[in-house]
Amino acid sequence: MNSGASSNRCLWPAILLAAICLTLLPLLGPARAGEPTVRIADGRGDWGLPNPFHHYPRGPGYIHMSWVFDTLVWKDHRGELVPALANSWAYEPQRQAFTFQMNPQAQWHDGTPVTAADVAFTIDLFQRHPTPWVNLKEISHAEVTGSRQVTIFLRHPYAPFLADIGGTMPIMPAHIWREVEEPTSFTEPGAFIGSGPFRFIDFNKVQGTYLYEAFADYYQGRPKAARLIYLRSSQPLVALSRGEVDLAAIQPEMADALKKQNFTVLCDERGWNRKLMINHRRPPFSDRRFRQALAHAIDREALIAQAQRGHARPASYGLLSKDHSLYNPDLPDYAPDPAKARALLEEMGYTADAEGFYQLEGRPLIVELLVSNITAGGQSVPNRDGEKIRRQLARAGIRVELVNMEQAVTDQRIRDWQFDLALSGHGGVAGDARILNEMISPNYSGGSVNSARFDANPELEELLATQLRAMEPDERRRLVHRIQELHALELPAMPLYYPDACVAYNPRLGIDWFYTPGGVGKGIPIPQNKLSVIGE
Amino acid sequence: MMSVLWRRGVVYLLAALAIVYVGYRLPGLLPGDYVTTVYGGAEVVLTADQEQLLRARYAAADNFFSYLQNLLLLDWGESWAHKTPVFTLIMAALPWTLLLMGGAHLLATALGMIAGVEAAWRRGGRLEKAGVGSMTLLQGVPELALGVVLLLVFSYQLGWLPAGGGLSAYAEAGTGGLLLDLLRHLLLPLATLVLAWFPGNFLLARASMVLVLRQPFLVTARAKGLPPWRVRYRHAARNVLLPLVTRFGLRLAFMVTGALVVETLFAYPGLGTLLYQAISLRDLPLVQGIVLAAILALLAVNLGLELLYGRLDPRTW
Repeated sequence: MNSGASSNRCLWPAILLAAICLTLLPLLGPARAGEPTVRIADGRGDWGLPNPFHHYPRGPGYIHMSWVFDTLVWKDHRGELVPALANSWAYEPQRQAFTFQMNPQAQWHDGTPVTAADVAFTIDLFQRHPTPWVNLKEISHAEVTGSRQVTIFLRHPYAPFLADIGGTMPIMPAHIWREVEEPTSFTEPGAFIGSGPFRFIDFNKVQGTYLYEAFADYYQGRPKAARLIYLRSSQPLVALSRGEVDLAAIQPEMADALKKQNFTVLCDERGWNRKLMINHRRPPFSDRRFRQALAHAIDREALIAQAQRGHARPASYGLLSKDHSLYNPDLPDYAPDPAKARALLEEMGYTADAEGFYQLEGRPLIVELLVSNITAGGQSVPNRDGEKIRRQLARAGIRVELVNMEQAVTDQRIRDWQFDLALSGHGGVAGDARILNEMISPNYSGGSVNSARFDANPELEELLATQLRAMEPDERRRLVHRIQELHALELPAMPLYYPDACVAYNPRLGIDWFYTPGGVGKGIPIPQNKLSVIGE
Repeated sequence: MMSVLWRRGVVYLLAALAIVYVGYRLPGLLPGDYVTTVYGGAEVVLTADQEQLLRARYAAADNFFSYLQNLLLLDWGESWAHKTPVFTLIMAALPWTLLLMGGAHLLATALGMIAGVEAAWRRGGRLEKAGVGSMTLLQGVPELALGVVLLLVFSYQLGWLPAGGGLSAYAEAGTGGLLLDLLRHLLLPLATLVLAWFPGNFLLARASMVLVLRQPFLVTARAKGLPPWRVRYRHAARNVLLPLVTRFGLRLAFMVTGALVVETLFAYPGLGTLLYQAISLRDLPLVQGIVLAAILALLAVNLGLELLYGRLDPRTW
């Protein structure tokens, strides 16, 4: 009896181990000797299934989907649009239509050719089942106009079309999705048949791992990697050093150590914007002079040197990145000058008390600043700016109460306008100038917590609407320049700096990763552009 | 005996109902919501219509009785973020947490007890004094600090063990290799937890043993000429079990939250990682599901302990 009880006691851990092993056995893939496997570290691991209806609405989710599904056009290492599923394209102003010539070599992962009908079907599919990534409000319809030609008709001229739709909207196989009634519930293997350079093989939710295998018949050439493996890792420095991963996002401070180990380090200096949200609907922030006083009170260079340890660049007050082709270099500037800030406050009627802090009609000027960790490019970044800004504003006579909260709570308070000042941030400032509309006006941003939602300047509102319709590049440039000027003058939210976002990768695999100027798709600042892995 | 069991069963059922209700309500009181959290920092900006649709889709249901009814049918809802049934997600993560936390608890308790008993037996000696001093010190070191040190030494510097994960992703290996890989990944997080919990068990076992060693029945045992190990373990150490079992049970009950730090540090799969992500995203059905699983574990452990006490010390019944 005793020995039976004893073996029972030993049995349970053995059963547990065996159960785990059996669960994991299917993950063992066949050996593919001689072909490189690329392992990519990810801090979170789970970004949903890689199709347009299932990936999470963040940059890394889109990147996963982009391995499997191709778009009509794509951005290269210079950020210029190059052929993808479409060989060439042209805009006809009279018909307000874009016509695309499809690549005859392109085929789906199941061997079926990609056709112009697939493009027309995709437009129809996303019009019936919209996703936030593909907003087809500006599209009327699509028509197959030749054996390999499709024409997409716009409701109005729409300047961001190529970047926003042509280079972002995944083309879906009509022969699979035609019968699907509810795409958000469709997760059969067919849901992951695309025309991209990799086939989706597996996603393990618990482990946070993904496996993709090269699509040998890819129309742009056989991918350089046989397999892409994503794995969850919270220690990129150790994982890279040990050879567990070949590509990982790193803190800028890790760069030197990794360079010594022969890793290549890439840093994107101007793709993501850290900014100070200002509740401009509430006095005194509703007065432009107060917002300008804040700009003079905040020394961004000092903030970068101390809070970011030098790993950032001051942002443009016009919001668009200084690397953007439509960047306006002639903007109002706000040199750090507490005296100027004080002068503006005194112009508004504020008087300083014995300690130099301002008050208005006996009420002390105290503002609340919300800070929290923020997510940049899928990675959580610690916040060190709040304390520094508090001290800088104190020098200009503004008392600040610092409130440190979880990001979700901060986001909700910003969304509900329950804040004075808050530190936030977003990408896309090097992408299409539509970002100006989304980050400035409530008419394009819904309840976005990163948008200033500012509509107090009618000229700005008018310009934002007009720039989307400006199909002539010079005309759009002029409009976008003026928008940046007005933004810098009004400061509905204050751009602070572009933090360095860095990755390190193993160059011995023969893949040269790059940050895409303007970001991948809608402006994702992640250096996993599929062109890195394609062809020679 | 049966009536005692029956009464306790009813008490546990009522307690379960009350705590399940609290577990159902509390996550909903978290500030923030799923749509704002998920789309707040996204590259896509929602239009007002899209936002309204999403808010309607992810509005939390507010009917406790239908929630309870579904629970009984093992329908714990569907995770908003994972688009997967909550019960499936929990069951997939649970074995990993059991392996890590259960293994660490067993090891820390067994080793702590043996070391504590031996230290108390050698009371006043150098070894005992050094043991008590070092364990008191070690008990003050947080799990996170221990984990980081182990990671730096054994993974970064020496390169002996992997930096994280539950096993090498999509490795080409046989079952034997898979088991070895599993153990290699388990070692660092397991060692972190054992090192964190061992001192408490050691100090508790030693203190309890010191009290027991003063009891007259041990003089009788020695006078009977029993070998020292038998006196220590069969007669004395048995009395140390009760407080250790209590500690074991209480720790095990906090398995989910206890795993959070170490699982996150070592990117180890399990309920802690799942809970952390669910709270960050305000994925209410999943938070409710994991809280429910933790509540059920707590009640089951409590019930198990009560039954075990009856075996260890019949006076408690």
